[in-house]
Amino acid sequence: MFGDLRRFDTGRTQGLDWFRQLMDEMLPEAGAADIRSVPHGSFPMINVGRTDDAVRVYVFAAGLSAEDLEVSLQDNVLTVSGTREVAAPPEAARTDFRRERFRGEFSRTLALPDGLDVERAEARFRDGVCEVVLPKREELKPRRIEIQAA
Amino acid sequence: MNDVTRHDAPQAPDNREREMETLLPPVDIFEDGSALHLIADMPGVTRESLHIEVDNNVLSLEGEVRLDMPDGLAAIYAEVRAQRYARRFTLSHEIDAEAIQARIDKGVVELVLPRKETHRRRRIEVKAA
Repeated sequence: MFGDLRRFDTGRTQGLDWFRQLMDEMLPEAGAADIRSVPHGSFPMINVGRTDDAVRVYVFAAGLSAEDLEVSLQDNVLTVSGTREVAAPPEAARTDFRRERFRGEFSRTLALPDGLDVERAEARFRDGVCEVVLPKREELKPRRIEIQAA
Repeated sequence: MNDVTRHDAPQAPDNREREMETLLPPVDIFEDGSALHLIADMPGVTRESLHIEVDNNVLSLEGEVRLDMPDGLAAIYAEVRAQRYARRFTLSHEIDAEAIQARIDKGVVELVLPRKETHRRRRIEVKAA
């Protein structure tokens, strides 16, 4: 059931990015990549986990608040989009040394497992991480089967 | 000198292993007339789990991701695969380490590193000949 998501697995930690890119250049991927997979380090980064009764999506979107982020689900495809403006201070005499943080519009899509109850979905923001809780539909929750004595 | 190498050698692999598990937060760094500004994205880090330190002119920025995840949560897809962010920068001597200010809001860390008074940018009047 969840095998579907494994193809999104894009690899190692972010810190090793430069090395990974170097290796990718030298050894280009032979297999076909999933149509929705993204290069590592895209904004925002997303983690998905599941418990017995829900699927939880964590969107690592630093600096954004609830109004800046739009989360929608259609046919098990979750779309996270929005804009992150990096406020430029008015000071004109400014020298930039590094600009690594993402700025501008973004939209990311991710396939989720089947059988989620969108009506009861909840999302909340804390410390730059948006947690989306998508409860599983009643019929898909694991059920204990009573074994009767013969 | 010999002492130094002997002490360093056994520690090296240990350190490297730890670095593998940390994320490198993206940063913006810019400078204006009186200070350097550093802005880092560290989503999931709280005020309590953020550690900023200046030691021997090295600024280190570390933070732990604190998410309240329910018990029994199994990862099915993960892009963020470490619990910690860490990044270090060497400061130049004109930074006033005592006066560094930091704040964190919505996972964004903002540092202001003021220059020492004696090193501030000064305007030089150009006189007509």
